[in-house]
Amino acid sequence: MNKIYLWGIIITAAMLGFTYVSVIGSKGGFNGDIVNMLAVAGAIALVIITVFVVIKYVRQMQVDTADGELADESWDDIGEYKNPIPMGWAIIFLATLVWAMWYFTMGYPVNSYSQIGEYNEDTAAHNAKFEKEYASITGDRLIEMGESVFLAECKVCHGIAADGIDGKAANLNQRIAAKSVKHVIENGSNNMLMGSENPMPDRNGLFNMNTGALITDAEIDAVSAYVANGMNGAGGDVFASTCASCHGETGMGMEYVAPNIASFDTALVTNVLNHGMKGAIGVMPAIDRLNAKQKEAVGAYITSLSK
Amino acid sequence: MFHWLEKNPFAFALGVFITIAFAGLVEIIPNFVQSARPLVGTKPYSTLELAGRQIYIKNSCNACHSQMIRPFKSETDRYGHYSLSGEYAYDRPFLWGSKRTGPDLMRVGNYRTTDWHENHMKDPAGVVPGSIMPPYGWLYDNMTDIDTAYAEQLTVESVFAVPYTFNKDKGTDKAQLIPMRDGSTSIVLIGDNIADARSLALEEAKLIVADMKDENIKEAVANGQIPEIVAIIAYMNSLK
Repeated sequence: MNKIYLWGIIITAAMLGFTYVSVIGSKGGFNGDIVNMLAVAGAIALVIITVFVVIKYVRQMQVDTADGELADESWDDIGEYKNPIPMGWAIIFLATLVWAMWYFTMGYPVNSYSQIGEYNEDTAAHNAKFEKEYASITGDRLIEMGESVFLAECKVCHGIAADGIDGKAANLNQRIAAKSVKHVIENGSNNMLMGSENPMPDRNGLFNMNTGALITDAEIDAVSAYVANGMNGAGGDVFASTCASCHGETGMGMEYVAPNIASFDTALVTNVLNHGMKGAIGVMPAIDRLNAKQKEAVGAYITSLSK
Repeated sequence: MFHWLEKNPFAFALGVFITIAFAGLVEIIPNFVQSARPLVGTKPYSTLELAGRQIYIKNSCNACHSQMIRPFKSETDRYGHYSLSGEYAYDRPFLWGSKRTGPDLMRVGNYRTTDWHENHMKDPAGVVPGSIMPPYGWLYDNMTDIDTAYAEQLTVESVFAVPYTFNKDKGTDKAQLIPMRDGSTSIVLIGDNIADARSLALEEAKLIVADMKDENIKEAVANGQIPEIVAIIAYMNSLK
Protein backbone atom coordinates (compact mmCIF):
# COMPACT_ATOMS: atom_id res chain seq x y z
CA MET A 1 0.00 0.00 0.00
CA ASN A 2 1.24 3.44 -0.88
CA LYS A 3 2.37 5.53 2.07
CA ILE A 4 -0.06 8.25 1.11
CA TYR A 5 -3.08 5.97 1.63
CA LEU A 6 -1.73 5.03 5.04
CA TRP A 7 -1.47 8.67 6.04
CA GLY A 8 -4.96 9.25 4.71
CA ILE A 9 -6.39 6.54 6.89
CA ILE A 10 -4.51 7.81 9.94
CA ILE A 11 -5.74 11.39 9.45
CA THR A 12 -9.30 10.19 8.83
CA ALA A 13 -9.26 8.11 11.98
CA ALA A 14 -7.85 11.03 13.97
CA MET A 15 -10.51 13.46 12.72
CA LEU A 16 -13.34 10.98 13.30
CA GLY A 17 -11.96 10.38 16.77
CA PHE A 18 -11.94 14.09 17.45
CA THR A 19 -15.53 14.31 16.20
CA TYR A 20 -16.50 11.44 18.54
CA VAL A 21 -14.86 13.04 21.54
CA SER A 22 -16.25 16.52 20.91
CA VAL A 23 -19.83 15.48 20.10
CA ILE A 24 -20.82 12.00 21.10
CA GLY A 25 -18.46 11.75 24.04
CA SER A 26 -19.47 15.12 25.48
CA LYS A 27 -22.13 15.61 28.08
CA GLY A 28 -25.53 15.02 26.52
CA GLY A 29 -24.12 13.26 23.43
CA PHE A 30 -26.61 12.89 20.64
CA ASN A 31 -29.30 13.79 23.08
CA GLY A 32 -31.58 11.43 21.13
CA ASP A 33 -31.98 14.09 18.52
CA ILE A 34 -32.15 13.03 14.87
CA VAL A 35 -30.71 16.38 13.74
CA ASN A 36 -27.59 15.83 15.82
CA MET A 37 -27.14 12.37 14.29
CA LEU A 38 -27.55 13.74 10.79
CA ALA A 39 -25.01 16.47 11.51
CA VAL A 40 -22.45 13.98 12.77
CA ALA A 41 -23.07 11.66 9.81
CA GLY A 42 -22.49 14.66 7.53
CA ALA A 43 -19.27 15.50 9.35
CA ILE A 44 -18.02 11.94 8.96
CA ALA A 45 -18.86 11.90 5.26
CA LEU A 46 -17.12 15.27 4.76
CA VAL A 47 -13.97 14.08 6.46
CA ILE A 48 -13.79 10.88 4.43
CA ILE A 49 -14.58 12.54 1.09
CA THR A 50 -12.14 15.41 1.69
CA VAL A 51 -9.27 13.14 2.61
CA PHE A 52 -9.71 10.78 -0.32
CA VAL A 53 -10.28 13.53 -2.91
CA VAL A 54 -7.06 15.14 -1.75
CA ILE A 55 -5.31 11.79 -2.01
CA LYS A 56 -6.64 11.32 -5.56
CA TYR A 57 -5.20 14.61 -6.79
CA VAL A 58 -1.90 14.19 -4.99
CA ARG A 59 -1.58 10.72 -6.59
CA GLN A 60 -2.44 12.20 -9.97
CA MET A 61 0.36 14.78 -9.60
CA GLN A 62 2.75 12.00 -8.64
CA VAL A 63 2.06 9.53 -11.43
CA ASP A 64 0.31 11.32 -14.35
CA THR A 65 2.24 11.91 -17.55
CA ALA A 66 1.48 14.57 -20.15
CA ASP A 67 -0.51 13.51 -23.17
CA GLY A 68 -3.01 15.10 -25.53
CA GLU A 69 -2.68 17.72 -28.24
CA LEU A 70 -1.05 21.08 -27.47
CA ALA A 71 -2.69 24.31 -28.55
CA ASP A 72 -0.87 26.49 -31.07
CA GLU A 73 -0.46 29.39 -28.67
CA SER A 74 2.58 29.28 -26.45
CA TRP A 75 3.31 32.14 -24.06
CA ASP A 76 6.69 32.20 -22.37
CA ASP A 77 7.06 28.54 -23.45
CA ILE A 78 4.16 27.46 -21.26
CA GLY A 79 1.97 25.26 -23.39
CA GLU A 80 -1.72 24.53 -23.04
CA TYR A 81 -3.68 21.39 -23.97
CA LYS A 82 -6.71 21.46 -26.18
CA ASN A 83 -9.12 20.17 -23.55
CA PRO A 84 -12.87 19.92 -23.95
CA ILE A 85 -14.81 22.46 -21.88
CA PRO A 86 -15.66 21.01 -18.46
CA MET A 87 -19.39 20.30 -18.26
CA GLY A 88 -19.92 22.11 -14.94
CA TRP A 89 -18.18 25.23 -16.19
CA ALA A 90 -20.19 25.19 -19.42
CA ILE A 91 -23.48 24.94 -17.50
CA ILE A 92 -22.56 27.84 -15.24
CA PHE A 93 -21.47 29.89 -18.27
CA LEU A 94 -24.76 29.33 -20.11
CA ALA A 95 -26.78 29.95 -16.95
CA THR A 96 -24.95 33.26 -16.54
CA LEU A 97 -25.91 34.24 -20.08
CA VAL A 98 -29.57 33.50 -19.37
CA TRP A 99 -29.42 35.41 -16.08
CA ALA A 100 -27.78 38.38 -17.85
CA MET A 101 -30.60 38.52 -20.39
CA TRP A 102 -33.20 38.44 -17.61
CA TYR A 103 -31.34 41.07 -15.61
CA PHE A 104 -30.95 43.35 -18.64
CA THR A 105 -34.57 43.18 -19.73
CA MET A 106 -36.45 42.55 -16.47
CA GLY A 107 -34.28 42.46 -13.36
CA TYR A 108 -32.74 45.91 -13.56
CA PRO A 109 -35.52 47.94 -15.21
CA VAL A 110 -38.29 46.51 -13.05
CA ASN A 111 -36.56 46.29 -9.71
CA SER A 112 -33.97 49.03 -9.79
CA TYR A 113 -33.93 51.77 -7.16
CA SER A 114 -35.01 55.22 -8.18
CA GLN A 115 -34.89 58.31 -6.01
CA ILE A 116 -37.96 59.74 -7.72
CA GLY A 117 -39.72 56.40 -7.24
CA GLU A 118 -39.00 56.56 -3.52
CA TYR A 119 -40.22 60.17 -3.46
CA ASN A 120 -43.46 59.17 -5.17
CA GLU A 121 -44.02 56.32 -2.73
CA ASP A 122 -43.26 58.58 0.20
CA THR A 123 -45.67 61.24 -1.06
CA ALA A 124 -48.42 58.71 -1.68
CA ALA A 125 -47.96 57.26 1.82
CA HIS A 126 -48.01 60.72 3.35
CA ASN A 127 -51.12 61.73 1.44
CA ALA A 128 -52.87 58.53 2.46
CA LYS A 129 -52.00 59.21 6.09
CA PHE A 130 -53.18 62.81 5.78
CA GLU A 131 -56.42 61.62 4.20
CA LYS A 132 -56.96 59.13 7.03
CA GLU A 133 -56.13 61.38 9.96
CA TYR A 134 -56.99 64.90 8.90
CA ALA A 135 -59.45 64.82 5.99
CA SER A 136 -62.49 65.10 8.22
CA ILE A 137 -61.34 67.36 11.05
CA THR A 138 -63.45 70.39 11.89
CA GLY A 139 -63.76 73.09 14.51
CA ASP A 140 -60.86 73.78 16.83
CA ARG A 141 -58.65 71.10 15.29
CA LEU A 142 -59.12 72.71 11.88
CA ILE A 143 -58.18 76.10 13.31
CA GLU A 144 -55.11 74.53 14.95
CA MET A 145 -54.05 73.06 11.63
CA GLY A 146 -54.66 76.42 10.02
CA GLU A 147 -52.43 78.11 12.56
CA SER A 148 -49.59 75.68 11.93
CA VAL A 149 -49.90 76.16 8.16
CA PHE A 150 -50.08 79.92 8.68
CA LEU A 151 -46.88 79.87 10.74
CA ALA A 152 -45.13 77.85 8.05
CA GLU A 153 -46.33 79.61 4.92
CA CYS A 154 -47.97 82.96 5.68
CA LYS A 155 -46.10 84.51 8.61
CA VAL A 156 -43.16 85.45 6.38
CA CYS A 157 -45.28 88.29 4.93
CA HIS A 158 -48.26 88.68 7.28
CA GLY A 159 -46.24 88.31 10.48
CA ILE A 160 -46.58 85.93 13.40
CA ALA A 161 -49.50 87.93 14.80
CA ALA A 162 -51.04 88.19 11.31
CA ASP A 163 -50.89 91.97 11.66
CA GLY A 164 -49.16 92.53 8.32
CA ILE A 165 -45.91 93.83 9.92
CA ASP A 166 -46.54 97.59 9.86
CA GLY A 167 -48.45 97.62 6.62
CA LYS A 168 -46.01 95.43 4.67
CA ALA A 169 -48.88 92.99 4.05
CA ALA A 170 -52.58 92.86 4.81
CA ASN A 171 -53.55 92.90 8.50
CA LEU A 172 -55.62 89.75 8.81
CA ASN A 173 -57.04 90.67 12.21
CA GLN A 174 -59.52 92.88 10.41
CA ARG A 175 -61.38 92.04 7.24
CA ILE A 176 -60.19 94.95 5.18
CA ALA A 177 -58.45 98.30 5.65
CA ALA A 178 -59.99 101.57 4.45
CA LYS A 179 -56.96 102.06 2.20
CA SER A 180 -57.68 98.75 0.45
CA VAL A 181 -61.39 99.48 0.03
CA LYS A 182 -60.50 102.82 -1.51
CA HIS A 183 -57.95 101.22 -3.83
CA VAL A 184 -60.46 98.66 -5.07
CA ILE A 185 -63.17 101.25 -5.65
CA GLU A 186 -60.81 103.52 -7.56
CA ASN A 187 -59.09 100.83 -9.62
CA GLY A 188 -61.64 98.06 -9.88
CA SER A 189 -60.75 94.49 -9.17
CA ASN A 190 -60.21 91.48 -11.35
CA ASN A 191 -58.26 89.13 -9.22
CA MET A 192 -60.12 85.95 -10.08
CA LEU A 193 -61.47 85.89 -6.56
CA MET A 194 -64.61 84.15 -7.65
CA GLY A 195 -62.68 81.67 -9.70
CA SER A 196 -63.49 83.25 -13.03
CA GLU A 197 -63.01 86.56 -14.81
CA ASN A 198 -65.66 88.57 -13.11
CA PRO A 199 -64.33 92.07 -12.78
CA MET A 200 -65.55 94.68 -10.40
CA PRO A 201 -65.59 97.99 -12.32
CA ASP A 202 -63.45 100.93 -11.27
CA ARG A 203 -64.97 104.18 -10.06
CA ASN A 204 -66.06 105.02 -13.60
CA GLY A 205 -68.50 102.14 -13.48
CA LEU A 206 -69.85 102.53 -9.95
CA PHE A 207 -73.12 104.42 -9.73
CA ASN A 208 -74.79 105.65 -6.59
CA MET A 209 -78.43 104.73 -7.16
CA ASN A 210 -79.62 107.38 -4.77
CA THR A 211 -77.99 110.26 -6.62
CA GLY A 212 -77.98 108.58 -10.03
CA ALA A 213 -74.41 109.76 -10.57
CA LEU A 214 -70.94 108.20 -10.43
CA ILE A 215 -69.54 107.69 -6.96
CA THR A 216 -67.76 110.81 -5.64
CA ASP A 217 -64.53 111.21 -3.67
CA ALA A 218 -66.44 112.03 -0.51
CA GLU A 219 -68.66 109.00 -0.94
CA ILE A 220 -65.60 106.78 -1.52
CA ASP A 221 -64.02 107.97 1.72
CA ALA A 222 -67.25 107.47 3.60
CA VAL A 223 -67.95 104.00 2.32
CA SER A 224 -64.30 102.95 2.80
CA ALA A 225 -64.48 103.93 6.44
CA TYR A 226 -67.83 102.19 6.75
CA VAL A 227 -66.56 98.87 5.32
CA ALA A 228 -63.25 99.01 7.19
CA ASN A 229 -65.15 99.64 10.41
CA GLY A 230 -66.90 96.31 10.05
CA MET A 231 -70.00 97.70 8.26
CA ASN A 232 -70.61 100.29 10.97
CA GLY A 233 -70.88 104.04 11.21
CA ALA A 234 -71.46 106.66 8.56
CA GLY A 235 -71.42 105.70 4.90
CA GLY A 236 -74.02 102.96 5.20
CA ASP A 237 -76.29 104.77 2.79
CA VAL A 238 -73.58 104.88 0.11
CA PHE A 239 -72.93 101.17 0.61
CA ALA A 240 -76.60 100.33 0.31
CA SER A 241 -77.03 102.33 -2.86
CA THR A 242 -73.74 101.48 -4.60
CA CYS A 243 -72.17 98.27 -3.31
CA ALA A 244 -75.04 96.24 -1.92
CA SER A 245 -76.34 95.14 -5.32
CA CYS A 246 -73.34 92.81 -5.65
CA HIS A 247 -71.87 92.49 -2.17
CA GLY A 248 -75.24 92.11 -0.47
CA GLU A 249 -76.88 94.42 2.04
CA THR A 250 -74.79 93.11 4.89
CA GLY A 251 -71.62 92.85 2.78
CA MET A 252 -71.64 89.07 3.00
CA GLY A 253 -71.19 88.75 -0.76
CA MET A 254 -72.96 86.52 -3.23
CA GLU A 255 -71.70 83.25 -4.56
CA TYR A 256 -70.18 83.61 -8.05
CA VAL A 257 -70.88 87.36 -8.00
CA ALA A 258 -68.90 89.15 -5.32
CA PRO A 259 -66.75 88.20 -2.33
CA ASN A 260 -67.65 88.67 1.29
CA ILE A 261 -66.30 92.03 2.49
CA ALA A 262 -67.91 92.00 5.92
CA SER A 263 -65.88 89.12 7.31
CA PHE A 264 -63.43 86.44 6.28
CA ASP A 265 -64.72 83.11 5.17
CA THR A 266 -63.13 79.94 3.89
CA ALA A 267 -64.24 80.39 0.28
CA LEU A 268 -62.63 83.82 0.15
CA VAL A 269 -59.33 82.73 1.71
CA THR A 270 -59.16 79.65 -0.52
CA ASN A 271 -59.65 81.81 -3.60
CA VAL A 272 -56.88 84.20 -2.57
CA LEU A 273 -54.56 81.24 -1.89
CA ASN A 274 -55.38 79.77 -5.30
CA HIS A 275 -55.03 82.91 -7.38
CA GLY A 276 -53.01 85.34 -5.30
CA MET A 277 -54.07 88.97 -5.36
CA LYS A 278 -52.90 92.46 -6.13
CA GLY A 279 -54.16 95.28 -3.95
CA ALA A 280 -53.27 98.61 -2.39
CA ILE A 281 -50.40 97.12 -0.38
CA GLY A 282 -48.76 95.05 -3.07
CA VAL A 283 -48.88 91.66 -4.70
CA MET A 284 -49.62 88.43 -2.89
CA PRO A 285 -48.46 85.36 -4.80
CA ALA A 286 -50.69 82.34 -5.19
CA ILE A 287 -49.87 79.76 -2.50
CA ASP A 288 -51.46 76.89 -4.37
CA ARG A 289 -49.19 74.07 -3.31
CA LEU A 290 -51.22 73.68 -0.12
CA ASN A 291 -53.80 70.93 -0.42
CA ALA A 292 -57.53 71.64 -0.25
CA LYS A 293 -57.83 70.77 3.45
CA GLN A 294 -54.89 72.97 4.37
CA LYS A 295 -56.45 75.89 2.48
CA GLU A 296 -59.71 75.31 4.31
CA ALA A 297 -57.77 75.22 7.58
CA VAL A 298 -56.03 78.52 6.82
CA GLY A 299 -59.46 79.97 6.02
CA ALA A 300 -60.79 78.76 9.35
CA TYR A 301 -57.78 80.17 11.22
CA ILE A 302 -57.98 83.59 9.55
CA THR A 303 -61.71 83.72 10.08
CA SER A 304 -61.15 82.95 13.77
CA LEU A 305 -58.67 85.86 14.09
CA SER A 306 -61.15 88.62 13.33
CA LYS A 307 -63.95 87.24 15.52
CA MET B 1 -4.45 38.68 -35.02
CA PHE B 2 -3.83 40.40 -31.68
CA HIS B 3 -0.75 38.37 -30.64
CA TRP B 4 1.40 41.48 -30.98
CA LEU B 5 -0.89 43.21 -28.48
CA GLU B 6 -0.67 40.35 -26.01
CA LYS B 7 3.10 40.57 -26.11
CA ASN B 8 3.07 44.29 -25.18
CA PRO B 9 1.67 44.77 -21.69
CA PHE B 10 1.58 48.57 -21.94
CA ALA B 11 -0.24 48.57 -25.28
CA PHE B 12 -2.56 45.88 -23.95
CA ALA B 13 -3.41 47.91 -20.84
CA LEU B 14 -4.02 50.95 -23.01
CA GLY B 15 -6.30 48.93 -25.27
CA VAL B 16 -8.28 47.65 -22.28
CA PHE B 17 -8.61 51.19 -20.92
CA ILE B 18 -9.81 52.60 -24.24
CA THR B 19 -12.34 49.81 -24.71
CA ILE B 20 -13.82 50.18 -21.23
CA ALA B 21 -13.73 53.99 -21.37
CA PHE B 22 -15.57 53.92 -24.69
CA ALA B 23 -18.21 51.61 -23.29
CA GLY B 24 -18.64 53.99 -20.35
CA LEU B 25 -18.98 57.02 -22.59
CA VAL B 26 -21.57 55.30 -24.73
CA GLU B 27 -23.57 54.60 -21.58
CA ILE B 28 -23.18 57.98 -19.90
CA ILE B 29 -23.11 60.67 -22.57
CA PRO B 30 -26.49 60.15 -24.30
CA ASN B 31 -28.23 60.05 -20.92
CA PHE B 32 -26.38 63.15 -19.78
CA VAL B 33 -27.14 65.08 -22.97
CA GLN B 34 -30.80 64.10 -22.76
CA SER B 35 -31.27 65.26 -19.17
CA ALA B 36 -29.28 68.48 -19.68
CA ARG B 37 -31.65 69.71 -22.39
CA PRO B 38 -33.69 72.73 -21.34
CA LEU B 39 -37.13 71.84 -20.07
CA VAL B 40 -40.21 73.43 -21.55
CA GLY B 41 -40.50 76.87 -20.00
CA THR B 42 -36.78 77.23 -19.32
CA LYS B 43 -35.65 80.51 -20.83
CA PRO B 44 -32.27 82.24 -20.95
CA TYR B 45 -31.86 85.19 -18.58
CA SER B 46 -32.76 88.64 -19.81
CA THR B 47 -30.14 91.38 -19.44
CA LEU B 48 -31.52 92.70 -16.16
CA GLU B 49 -32.02 89.21 -14.73
CA LEU B 50 -28.46 88.25 -15.65
CA ALA B 51 -27.14 91.45 -14.06
CA GLY B 52 -29.12 90.47 -10.95
CA ARG B 53 -27.58 87.03 -11.07
CA GLN B 54 -24.12 88.60 -11.15
CA ILE B 55 -25.08 90.69 -8.11
CA TYR B 56 -26.32 87.52 -6.40
CA ILE B 57 -22.92 85.91 -6.98
CA LYS B 58 -21.02 89.08 -6.11
CA ASN B 59 -22.72 89.22 -2.69
CA SER B 60 -22.14 85.47 -2.18
CA CYS B 61 -25.83 84.80 -1.73
CA ASN B 62 -25.09 81.26 -2.91
CA ALA B 63 -22.92 80.70 0.19
CA CYS B 64 -26.08 80.56 2.33
CA HIS B 65 -28.85 79.87 -0.18
CA SER B 66 -28.99 76.76 -2.33
CA GLN B 67 -30.87 76.46 -5.60
CA MET B 68 -31.62 72.76 -5.63
CA ILE B 69 -34.85 71.28 -4.36
CA ARG B 70 -34.26 67.65 -3.53
CA PRO B 71 -36.93 65.01 -4.09
CA PHE B 72 -38.17 64.69 -0.50
CA LYS B 73 -41.72 65.34 0.66
CA SER B 74 -40.56 67.90 3.23
CA GLU B 75 -38.64 69.82 0.56
CA THR B 76 -41.35 69.86 -2.07
CA ASP B 77 -43.95 70.93 0.52
CA ARG B 78 -41.83 73.91 1.36
CA TYR B 79 -40.25 74.92 -1.93
CA GLY B 80 -42.31 73.39 -4.74
CA HIS B 81 -41.50 70.74 -7.33
CA TYR B 82 -38.09 69.09 -7.00
CA SER B 83 -35.38 70.38 -9.34
CA LEU B 84 -34.70 68.75 -12.70
CA SER B 85 -31.37 69.00 -14.48
CA GLY B 86 -32.90 70.55 -17.61
CA GLU B 87 -33.91 73.59 -15.56
CA TYR B 88 -30.24 74.58 -15.16
CA ALA B 89 -29.57 74.58 -18.91
CA TYR B 90 -28.79 78.29 -19.03
CA ASP B 91 -27.08 78.59 -15.62
CA ARG B 92 -23.41 79.39 -16.06
CA PRO B 93 -22.24 78.57 -13.47
CA PHE B 94 -25.01 76.67 -11.71
CA LEU B 95 -25.70 77.84 -8.15
CA TRP B 96 -26.86 74.58 -6.58
CA GLY B 97 -25.02 75.23 -3.34
CA SER B 98 -24.29 72.62 -0.72
CA LYS B 99 -25.13 74.51 2.46
CA ARG B 100 -28.40 76.00 3.56
CA THR B 101 -28.02 78.71 6.14
CA GLY B 102 -31.06 80.30 4.54
CA PRO B 103 -33.84 78.63 2.57
CA ASP B 104 -33.58 77.27 -0.94
CA LEU B 105 -34.30 79.85 -3.63
CA MET B 106 -34.79 77.62 -6.67
CA ARG B 107 -38.47 78.67 -7.06
CA VAL B 108 -38.58 81.75 -4.88
CA GLY B 109 -40.28 83.68 -7.71
CA ASN B 110 -43.40 81.59 -7.15
CA TYR B 111 -44.02 82.61 -3.57
CA ARG B 112 -42.29 85.92 -2.88
CA THR B 113 -42.99 89.22 -4.55
CA THR B 114 -41.20 92.40 -5.56
CA ASP B 115 -42.42 94.43 -2.60
CA TRP B 116 -41.57 91.62 -0.17
CA HIS B 117 -37.97 91.48 -1.44
CA GLU B 118 -37.79 95.25 -1.23
CA ASN B 119 -38.73 95.16 2.48
CA HIS B 120 -36.69 92.07 3.19
CA MET B 121 -33.33 93.16 1.75
CA LYS B 122 -33.50 96.38 3.78
CA ASP B 123 -34.15 94.65 7.09
CA PRO B 124 -34.56 90.86 6.96
CA ALA B 125 -35.24 90.49 10.68
CA GLY B 126 -37.99 93.10 10.48
CA VAL B 127 -39.92 90.93 8.02
CA VAL B 128 -38.93 87.48 9.25
CA PRO B 129 -38.56 87.52 13.06
CA GLY B 130 -35.44 85.68 14.13
CA SER B 131 -33.84 85.82 10.71
CA ILE B 132 -30.05 85.91 10.87
CA MET B 133 -29.69 87.28 7.35
CA PRO B 134 -27.82 90.59 7.41
CA PRO B 135 -29.37 93.63 5.73
CA TYR B 136 -28.10 94.38 2.23
CA GLY B 137 -28.48 98.15 2.32
CA TRP B 138 -25.92 98.88 -0.36
CA LEU B 139 -28.12 97.21 -2.98
CA TYR B 140 -30.26 100.36 -2.74
CA ASP B 141 -27.31 102.67 -3.39
CA ASN B 142 -25.08 100.82 -5.86
CA MET B 143 -25.98 100.93 -9.54
CA THR B 144 -26.26 97.80 -11.65
CA ASP B 145 -23.48 96.91 -14.08
CA ILE B 146 -25.55 96.25 -17.20
CA ASP B 147 -22.50 96.27 -19.49
CA THR B 148 -20.95 93.16 -17.92
CA ALA B 149 -24.26 91.32 -18.06
CA TYR B 150 -24.55 92.22 -21.73
CA ALA B 151 -21.00 91.00 -22.34
CA GLU B 152 -21.90 87.67 -20.72
CA GLN B 153 -24.99 87.40 -22.89
CA LEU B 154 -22.99 88.02 -26.06
CA THR B 155 -20.44 85.43 -24.97
CA VAL B 156 -22.91 82.65 -24.20
CA GLU B 157 -24.88 83.52 -27.33
CA SER B 158 -21.90 82.95 -29.59
CA VAL B 159 -19.96 80.28 -27.65
CA PHE B 160 -22.78 78.11 -26.29
CA ALA B 161 -25.49 79.00 -28.85
CA VAL B 162 -27.85 80.19 -26.12
CA PRO B 163 -31.02 81.16 -28.02
CA TYR B 164 -31.06 84.93 -27.68
CA THR B 165 -32.69 87.04 -30.38
CA PHE B 166 -31.09 90.36 -31.22
CA ASN B 167 -33.37 93.33 -30.82
CA LYS B 168 -32.96 94.31 -34.49
CA ASP B 169 -34.35 90.92 -35.56
CA LYS B 170 -37.51 91.28 -33.53
CA GLY B 171 -40.55 90.78 -35.73
CA THR B 172 -38.51 89.65 -38.72
CA ASP B 173 -38.25 86.13 -40.05
CA LYS B 174 -34.84 85.75 -38.45
CA ALA B 175 -36.52 85.77 -35.06
CA GLN B 176 -38.35 82.64 -36.05
CA LEU B 177 -35.00 81.02 -36.73
CA ILE B 178 -33.96 81.29 -33.08
CA PRO B 179 -36.71 79.52 -31.17
CA MET B 180 -36.20 78.28 -27.64
CA ARG B 181 -34.43 74.95 -27.50
CA ASP B 182 -37.35 73.66 -25.46
CA GLY B 183 -39.58 73.94 -28.53
CA SER B 184 -41.69 76.81 -27.18
CA THR B 185 -42.21 79.95 -29.23
CA SER B 186 -41.05 82.49 -26.66
CA ILE B 187 -38.18 84.81 -27.51
CA VAL B 188 -35.64 86.47 -25.22
CA LEU B 189 -34.28 89.72 -26.62
CA ILE B 190 -30.77 91.08 -26.18
CA GLY B 191 -29.51 94.45 -27.29
CA ASP B 192 -27.73 95.03 -30.59
CA ASN B 193 -25.12 97.12 -28.80
CA ILE B 194 -24.41 98.36 -25.28
CA ALA B 195 -26.71 101.36 -25.54
CA ASP B 196 -29.51 99.14 -26.79
CA ALA B 197 -28.89 96.62 -23.99
CA ARG B 198 -29.07 99.42 -21.42
CA SER B 199 -32.39 100.65 -22.74
CA LEU B 200 -33.83 97.11 -22.80
CA ALA B 201 -32.74 96.62 -19.18
CA LEU B 202 -34.24 99.96 -18.22
CA GLU B 203 -37.62 99.02 -19.72
CA GLU B 204 -37.54 95.83 -17.68
CA ALA B 205 -36.54 97.77 -14.56
CA LYS B 206 -39.54 100.08 -14.99
CA LEU B 207 -41.88 97.09 -14.76
CA ILE B 208 -40.20 96.01 -11.52
CA VAL B 209 -40.23 99.44 -9.82
CA ALA B 210 -43.92 99.84 -10.60
CA ASP B 211 -44.46 97.38 -7.72
CA MET B 212 -41.88 99.01 -5.42
CA LYS B 213 -42.44 101.66 -2.77
CA ASP B 214 -39.02 103.28 -2.22
CA GLU B 215 -39.19 106.76 -3.73
CA ASN B 216 -35.41 106.99 -4.19
CA ILE B 217 -35.41 103.84 -6.29
CA LYS B 218 -38.36 105.02 -8.37
CA GLU B 219 -36.61 108.33 -8.96
CA ALA B 220 -33.33 106.65 -9.95
CA VAL B 221 -35.08 104.46 -12.51
CA ALA B 222 -37.02 107.44 -13.83
CA ASN B 223 -33.64 109.10 -14.35
CA GLY B 224 -32.36 106.14 -16.32
CA GLN B 225 -30.34 104.48 -13.58
CA ILE B 226 -30.89 100.97 -12.24
CA PRO B 227 -30.08 100.37 -8.56
CA GLU B 228 -28.83 96.87 -7.80
CA ILE B 229 -31.94 96.03 -5.77
CA VAL B 230 -34.04 96.24 -8.95
CA ALA B 231 -31.79 93.84 -10.84
CA ILE B 232 -31.63 91.31 -8.01
CA ILE B 233 -35.42 91.42 -7.62
CA ALA B 234 -35.73 90.80 -11.37
CA TYR B 235 -33.49 87.77 -10.91
CA MET B 236 -35.42 86.53 -7.84
CA ASN B 237 -38.71 86.86 -9.71
CA SER B 238 -37.30 84.88 -12.64
CA LEU B 239 -36.56 81.89 -10.38
CA LYS B 240 -39.62 79.74 -10.89
